[in-house]
Amino acid sequence: MRNVALALFLAAFLLSCSGTPQRSLTIAVNAGVEGTALKAAARQWGQANHARIEVVELPYANLFEKEQLDLTSRTGAYDVIMLDDPWFPRMAADLARLPRDPDSDFVSTCLEVCRHPYKTGAYLALPYVGNAQLFFYRKDLFEKYRLGAPKTWDDVLVAAKKIGEGEKIYGYVMRAAPGNAVVADFMPLLWAFGGGVMEGNRAICNSPPAVEALRFMLELGKYSPPGYAGFNADEVSAHLLQGTAAMSINWPAWIAAMDDPAKSKVVGKIEFSQMPGERDPGVGELGAWLVAVPAGSKHAADAFEFIYWATEPAQMKQAALRGNPPTRRSIFQSPDLIAKFRSYPAQLASLESARPRPRTAEWNEIENSFGIYLSKANDGAMDPRAALNAAADSIQKILERNESATHP
Amino acid sequence: MNRRRIPEGFPWVLPSLLVLLALSIYPLIYSVKLAAADRGNFTRLFTDRLFLTASIQTIVLTIAALAIEFFLGLALALLVDSLARGRMFFRTALLIPMLLPPVVAAVAWRLIYNPQFGVLNGTLRWLGFHTAHLTWTSGESSALASVILVDVWEWTPFLFLLLSAGLQAIPPEPLEAARVDGAGAWRIFRDVTLPLLKPTIVLALLLRAMDLVRIFDQIFILTQGGPGTATETVSLYIYRTAFRFSNFGYAAAMSFVLLAATMLFSRGLLRAMRAR
Repeated sequence: MRNVALALFLAAFLLSCSGTPQRSLTIAVNAGVEGTALKAAARQWGQANHARIEVVELPYANLFEKEQLDLTSRTGAYDVIMLDDPWFPRMAADLARLPRDPDSDFVSTCLEVCRHPYKTGAYLALPYVGNAQLFFYRKDLFEKYRLGAPKTWDDVLVAAKKIGEGEKIYGYVMRAAPGNAVVADFMPLLWAFGGGVMEGNRAICNSPPAVEALRFMLELGKYSPPGYAGFNADEVSAHLLQGTAAMSINWPAWIAAMDDPAKSKVVGKIEFSQMPGERDPGVGELGAWLVAVPAGSKHAADAFEFIYWATEPAQMKQAALRGNPPTRRSIFQSPDLIAKFRSYPAQLASLESARPRPRTAEWNEIENSFGIYLSKANDGAMDPRAALNAAADSIQKILERNESATHP
Repeated sequence: MNRRRIPEGFPWVLPSLLVLLALSIYPLIYSVKLAAADRGNFTRLFTDRLFLTASIQTIVLTIAALAIEFFLGLALALLVDSLARGRMFFRTALLIPMLLPPVVAAVAWRLIYNPQFGVLNGTLRWLGFHTAHLTWTSGESSALASVILVDVWEWTPFLFLLLSAGLQAIPPEPLEAARVDGAGAWRIFRDVTLPLLKPTIVLALLLRAMDLVRIFDQIFILTQGGPGTATETVSLYIYRTAFRFSNFGYAAAMSFVLLAATMLFSRGLLRAMRAR
């Protein structure tokens, strides 16, 4: 009798082992609103497909480190990764190629950064969050002082002076802490004045238009709160929310807070528009979040199935309702979403014209170096020309050391 | 045949030894391999202006913060030790800043230092001071001092705690003998208390100095090394090089230089204290 029971137990055990293995995915997401939507989508997909989902939620800086380590060592720790588009050139060599090209409903600027080489190569990711910088300004004050919507940076300067003097608030607020903060606020000015950071393998950030753009930035700085050379996004947004500043460059993530009575003293008073131009049309920085499958993933087929599903229109609409700016034109143009998110037309226009950061694997190091000298100029420690010469010198060294730059 | 015997306790310490090898020795050897893979990693150190700036600032920050924290810690320890009542209360109250996680303390100070909305400038304005140009962590000239102030606020209690314990451990007899011989308070402090406290002082300074050389979290949150490079330190630069620029070899080379400098500094401090 005991032998029969043992045989039955063994048979049941072997049967359970030989059954269909359970599907499973490990997903690395950013700890923030962008990651929250993907996390929710992953849980939903897991339930529908009887798959075990493990979500690894990490803060921005740690996410890059962990993903980079996993990709280069091909450990297969993650099946799906969420990545900021400037990381893409560095990670591209270790990402799996998409089995089919994405459809044309995606905004083209978002699709272009998913290809390696930029614009022309194979698709290695799908765009999930359509972030592009916007220009935030106090519509009520512009109307009060009979100022038209700012179309050029000269308009911005005139308005900053007029509103600043008339209202006893700061006409403009920007962030100039070293690194990403100051570079992100400088790039739209640099592009509008006709400058650039690099051309091929040559640093051009000390060209005459670049010097002019930095001088203009310092001029705007006169209407910014003292200490802006140490500001990050939270200080800039605090000034807008408290009604102590009239204009700034900002990211879509802050739009909801502007109209939230619990956080804002300027509900309904902030207007969102495309970036002002100057000599060239205004463009903002692109900051799209992408989803991709690492080459070392052990569940690549399921991972691809999930990322295609998560970026379908129906799922992207769900993500949009959770607060993510979409990457599909049809979602931006959906009437019910426009009724809910008044900034969608401006966001779509800005996303369609946005420019990515130079497509080089060394962007993090270049941005750090560039940011140091821009911050020094804004703090008054260096003359604009000297700061940009030093930045160009430093960037040139990085480029020569790595020799892997390509230009968008 | 004369076979060497394995020590009796060896199998019992083997698991710990393996863990130590895996977690400490192997990473150390691996990082040596990383740094040495490209000889350029070490030669670049001599031409890298950012590394030089970060090194100078780390030294300035370490010396300034260590000096202030030591003198404040010693003064507080002597003061609390001389109290007839309330010693426990002051000891507990003074330890509060040290009990906060450095990240929490840095976030709190970042809010305190905000030039427009911060409580520091707000209080100064309320007292009638003109604060328009007091930008604290945002100013090239004031940023490093602001970071040092946060460190002093948070870590003076550590020195206070160690020195206070050292004072408690001094036997009362030498002090009483000195008093009987007619020595004044200053003479007793200089000739009796201080020499007997020396081992504790050395330990306290060493521990704190090693921690200061590695300072990272407060600066990362308060200034991220800025404005410009005003508060850039070696550990911050190593972190960026390794995890933001993915240049692990160069980061490892810098780490070894930092390790060597810390060892030299510690040895120098020990020698200087022994010589006196």
